[in-house]
Amino acid sequence: MTTPPQTTVGAIRDGSWQRYLTFSLSTWVTIGLLIVVTALNVALQPTFFTTYSLTSNFATFAPLVFAAVAQAVVVIGGGLDLSIGSIVALASVVALTVMDGEPSRVAIGVLAAIVTGVIAGAINGFIVGVIRLQPLIATFATNSVFAGAALVVLPKPGGMVPSTMTTGYRSLVIGIPVSVLIVVLAIVLYWLLSRTRLMRHIRAVGGDRSAAFASLVPVVRVQMASYIVAGAFAGLAALAILANTGSGDPFVGSSMALDSIAAVVLGGIALAGGRGSGIGAVAGAIILAMVSTVLSFMGVPTTWRQLASGVIIVAAIALSVVMSRKDQR
Amino acid sequence: MASLDITGVDKRYGGVQALKGASLSVAEGEVHGLLGPNGSGKSTLNKVMAGAVRPDAATIRLDGQDLRIHGPQDAHHHRIESVYQQLSLIPHLTVAENLVLGTEAARAGWLTPKAQLVEVDAMLERLSPVLGGGIGPRTRVGSLNPGTKQLLEFAKVVLRRPRFLVLDEATASLHRDQVALLFAMVRELTAEGVGVVFVSHRMEEVLDLCDRATIIRNGLNVATVDVKDTDEQELVRLMVGDLARAAGRGERPAPSRDGQPVLSVRGLQAEGLADVSLDVHPGEIVGLGGLQGQGQSELLTGIFGASPAQAERIEVAGDPVEFRNPRSAIAAGLALVPGDRASEGLYSVRSIQENISTVTLGRRARAGLVIDARAEKEAATSQVDALRIKIGALADAVSTLSGGNAQKVVVAKWLLSEPRIVLLDDPTKGVDVGAKAEIYAIIRDLTAQGVGVILNSSDDVELAELADRVLVLYEGRIVQELEGTDVTHDNLVAAALRISDDDTKES
Amino acid sequence: MTAMQSPAAPTAARWRAIVTDPIFIAAAVAVAIVLVGQLVSPGFGAYSQVVGMVRVASFLGIMAIGQTIVILSGGDGIDLSVGKTATLGAIVAARIMDGSDSRLLLGILVPVLVGAVIGLVNGLGIAYLRIPPFVMTLGMTGVVAGIALAYTGGAAAGRSAPALTGLVNNRGLFDVPGVVYVWIVLIVAVTWLLRRSVAGWNIYAVGSNRVAANLSGVPVRRNVIMAYVASSVFACLGGILLLGYTESVFLNLADSYTLPTVAAVIIGGTLASGGVGGYLGTAIGALVLTFLTSLLSTMNMPESWRTITSGVVLLVLLGMYGRQRKLRT
Repeated sequence: MTTPPQTTVGAIRDGSWQRYLTFSLSTWVTIGLLIVVTALNVALQPTFFTTYSLTSNFATFAPLVFAAVAQAVVVIGGGLDLSIGSIVALASVVALTVMDGEPSRVAIGVLAAIVTGVIAGAINGFIVGVIRLQPLIATFATNSVFAGAALVVLPKPGGMVPSTMTTGYRSLVIGIPVSVLIVVLAIVLYWLLSRTRLMRHIRAVGGDRSAAFASLVPVVRVQMASYIVAGAFAGLAALAILANTGSGDPFVGSSMALDSIAAVVLGGIALAGGRGSGIGAVAGAIILAMVSTVLSFMGVPTTWRQLASGVIIVAAIALSVVMSRKDQR
Repeated sequence: MASLDITGVDKRYGGVQALKGASLSVAEGEVHGLLGPNGSGKSTLNKVMAGAVRPDAATIRLDGQDLRIHGPQDAHHHRIESVYQQLSLIPHLTVAENLVLGTEAARAGWLTPKAQLVEVDAMLERLSPVLGGGIGPRTRVGSLNPGTKQLLEFAKVVLRRPRFLVLDEATASLHRDQVALLFAMVRELTAEGVGVVFVSHRMEEVLDLCDRATIIRNGLNVATVDVKDTDEQELVRLMVGDLARAAGRGERPAPSRDGQPVLSVRGLQAEGLADVSLDVHPGEIVGLGGLQGQGQSELLTGIFGASPAQAERIEVAGDPVEFRNPRSAIAAGLALVPGDRASEGLYSVRSIQENISTVTLGRRARAGLVIDARAEKEAATSQVDALRIKIGALADAVSTLSGGNAQKVVVAKWLLSEPRIVLLDDPTKGVDVGAKAEIYAIIRDLTAQGVGVILNSSDDVELAELADRVLVLYEGRIVQELEGTDVTHDNLVAAALRISDDDTKES
Repeated sequence: MTAMQSPAAPTAARWRAIVTDPIFIAAAVAVAIVLVGQLVSPGFGAYSQVVGMVRVASFLGIMAIGQTIVILSGGDGIDLSVGKTATLGAIVAARIMDGSDSRLLLGILVPVLVGAVIGLVNGLGIAYLRIPPFVMTLGMTGVVAGIALAYTGGAAAGRSAPALTGLVNNRGLFDVPGVVYVWIVLIVAVTWLLRRSVAGWNIYAVGSNRVAANLSGVPVRRNVIMAYVASSVFACLGGILLLGYTESVFLNLADSYTLPTVAAVIIGGTLASGGVGGYLGTAIGALVLTFLTSLLSTMNMPESWRTITSGVVLLVLLGMYGRQRKLRT
C-alpha cells in the first residue's frame, strides 16, 4: 500500500491521446456488441448503408435513443424511472392534441411535449427526492398515473401529426438523413449536459449520496433535477415517435421502460449509479433496435422473434451487469 | 480574538445519548485537539459543527454571533469546513472533480473549470512528494489507496479556504511523511489565522500539533488543557479515567498451550492479508492489535468463510476443514461477532426473539422445518436472563435496544450454538462502560469452558485487560507477538506505532 | 408477533399500535370503500355483491402471494414478470385442459412446473449473476411473452376444464364460490408458513439484513431463489384460476396484474425494502384494490381515471408508511 503500482491510468500521461482509448471493461462490451450487430446487419442487409435504409432505420431508433438518454440521466444519478414510457405516451398525445394536425402549430407542439415531460419529471423528482419514496416503486406508481392521464387526453389511437413533421423527419439535409441528425442531436445534447455543474452533481449523487451531501452538493435538488431532465428528454422522444408514426397512440410507450433500462445496461451504465455516460445509452438503444432488425432479416418466424430477442436481451444484460461489476474492483 | 464556540450540544441516537451538553471553543490561529475514547462523541460533535448531523440542542457562535447551521452548505457559507472520519470522495469522479465538488466554478450552470484547475494543479504539486506516483487531476479516485484518498480529502477542504477547519481522524491512514506535510500545511493555515479542530488517536500527533485540547468522555466535557503543560500520561488519564486504568488484567489463570490447539490456521491469504498463521488453544484469548484497518477484520471474516480467502491449512481441534461459507464454519463450531453490529450482526427491524434464534433455529425446529414457538421462547429467555439483556418484550424489534444490549443479543445468538471458537471483532465498540464489563465477563466465562477466542479490538486497554497473547498486525501481516505480562497498554501502543515508523523508511 | 406481546402492555399504547398498524388501516379503508359504495349506489354493499368482489380479488390475492415473499426477501426484491407469467400459466392450462375434466390435474401441474422454471431462471440470475431484480424480471417479461407467442403461434386455443370453471363461478357453502375458500386456505397456510416455519423466519432474516443472515449461517441465495420460484408458481396458479373465470384465454389475459400485485403488497404494510410484513396484509390490500376498482366502475369512471386513481392510492399509502431515511439525521 505504500507506493501504488503504476496503473494504466498513471502510466499514460494526462492529456495524451491514449487517454481517449482507455475504456473500462463494460465500455468494451458495449463497443463489441455494437460492432457485432452492425456487422450482422450489414451482412444480412447489403443495402444497410444506403440513405433510404439509414433513414428508415434511424427513424425507428430515434424515440428509443431519447428515452434511453432520459433513463441514463436518472440512473447515473442513482435513481430509476419506470415511468419513462408513459411520460413519452403522455407527452406525445398532449403534443398531438395541441398541434391538431396544423403545420403552423408544430413549434407549440414541440414546446408542449417538452413541458409535459418536464412536469411529469418534476412530479417524479418531488416524490423521490422530497417525499423520499423508493424510486422503483414510486415511478412504478406514477407510471400508471401518467398512462391513465395519456388515456384521458386521447382515449384511443388516432389523430394526425402535421405533415411537415412526418415528411421533414424522413427527408435529407445536405445528403444526410434528418433521422440520423436527430440521433446525433441526442448525443450533442447529452454532451452539452455533461459540461454542466448539474450533471457533475448528478454523477456525484449517484456515486455516493452521503458523500455528495457532505461535499456540499444539494442532493435533494439534484435528484429532482435529474428526473426533470429525464422528463425533457422523454418529451423529445415523444416528438420523434409522432414524427415517425404520423398519428397518436396513448399506449405507445408501453415497452419503453424495459427497453430504456436494457439500453442503459447495454450502454455500460452501472445501475448502482454514478458511472457511465448517456452516449453509452445511445449505443445501447441502437444495439437493441438492431437486434430486432437482424432477427427479421435472418428469417426468424414472427412468432419466435419476440422470444429470440427476449433471450438475447436477457443474455446481453447479464453480460453487461457482470462486466460492470468487474470494473468496480 | 475571533472564535468558534459550540456549547450545550445534546444528541441522542435511538437509545444512546451520544452527547449531553458537550462544548468546544476554538480560537482563530490555534490547533485545538479534541480527545476522547471511542464512542465518546467526538465525531458527532464535529458533525454538528459541519452541519451533517442535526443536534437535539446546541448553540453555535462565531465571533459572538449566533449561527444557524442546517446543513453542510450553511457551515460552508461561514467557512467552517470539515474532513470527516468517513471519507466523502466520490469513487467514479476524477481527482480534480472531487477536489472542487460542490464548489465548481460555473457560469449560468456551465462549468468553467480553467481557473480552478490551476488551483487544483498547484495543490497536487504541493502534495506530489507524498502522493504516490502517477496521480494527476484526471485520475479516478476509486482506485487510489486509503492514504492518498485521505490526503485528497484534506486538500479538498483546504481549497475551500476555511476560516475554521475540522480534521476528524484526518491522519488515520497516512504515513509519517504524509503526516508531516499535512502538519506543515496546517501550521501555514493557523499562521494565517485559521482555527483548527484536530482529532487523532495518535497521542504524539496531538502533542506535536495542538495548542490546547478538550477531552470528552461519554458525551460530556472532562477538561480543556494547554497541551504544552501536559504529557501523554495525563491526557490518557483524562481520556480513559482512573477507573478503567485501575481495573487492570482480569484474575484469570493463564491457559495451557501444551495441548492441541482448538483452531490452527496456516498461510491465510486474502485481500488485505498476507500469509497469516496462528494457533488458538482451548481457553485462550488471542488478541489482534495494531492500528485499525491493518487486516484484523479481514482475518476474522477470512477464517469464518465470510470473505474470499485461501489458506494452506485450517484445522479445528486437529481436523482439517475448509470453509467456503459461514454455514460450514458454524457447523464446525465457529462463531463470529462481527465488527459492525447494525449492518452485519442484527436484523434491526426484526424481533429480539428472531435475532437470538437465527443461528440455531433449525436445531430446535420439529423435523428441522416447523418452529416450536415454546422452545424458541425458552431458548431466547434463557439467554436474555443469563446475559442480563435489558429488554421490554422478546417480540420488540431489536432496534429498540441500546448499543450494549444489542451487542449482547448478537452474543446470545452465538452462545446458543455452543461454539468451540469465538471470533470477536471489536465487540465493545459504542458500548457503555457497564455493558462493557459484562461483555468482558461473558468472554472470560467462555474461556473457562474451554472455548478459544480471537479478539480484535480498537481499544488497547481492552486488549491489555483480556488477551493472553496479542498478535500485532500491520498491512495484513503479523509483525509482532506480545505475550503474558508483556501485554500492556503501553507496549501495544508502542508496537502499533513503531511499526508505522519502520514502514515510512521504505516509501 | 401478537402471540409474544407482553400482557402487561398499557392499553393506550396497545391501541395506538393497533390503529397505526398498516393491516388495520388497510382493513379500515376496505370497509370504508364498501360503505361509501353502499351510499353512492345502494346494493353495492349487499352480501352477494361483496362475495362477488372477494371472488374477483382472489385472483389478484393469489398472484400476490409470491410478490409478498419476493418483496419480503429484500435486496430491492420485486417480480415484474408476474403478470406475463400468470398469462402464460393460463395459456398452457387452457391448451392442456381443452375443456375436459380428465386433464384437469395435468392442466394444473404443467403450468405450475413451467412457472417454477421461470422463477428458477429469475432467481438464479438475481442470486448468482446479481442482476438487479427489477431488471432481471423485466427482462424475463419479454422472454415469457416470447414463449407465449411461440407456443400459441399468435392465437390462443383451448378452454378451461368445467370443474375449474365450477370452482370459480359456482356458489357453494354460504353462497360463496370455491375459489374464495381456496384463497382462505392459502391465506392461513402462507401466513402460518411465514410466521411458524424455519423457511419463513429465514425469509425475514434474509430480507432484513442479508449480510447478517449470511454471517448467521442462513443460506441467503437459496432463500432468494426460492422466493422467486414461489412468485412464478403462485402467478401461474392465479393465472389458472383466472382462466376458470374467463373460460378461454387471450394473449394478454393477466398482463395488467403486475402493478396491482405490488400495490397490494405495499398497501398491506409490507416494507418495500423487505424484512417486515406478511401475507394477511397483502390479502387485505388485494381486497382494497378490488373494492376500489369496483366502486370506481360503479361510479362509471372510465378505465383511464381508474388507472390514475390506483396509482395515486399506492403513492399516498407509500407516503404514509414507506418513506426512506433522511440524509441529515
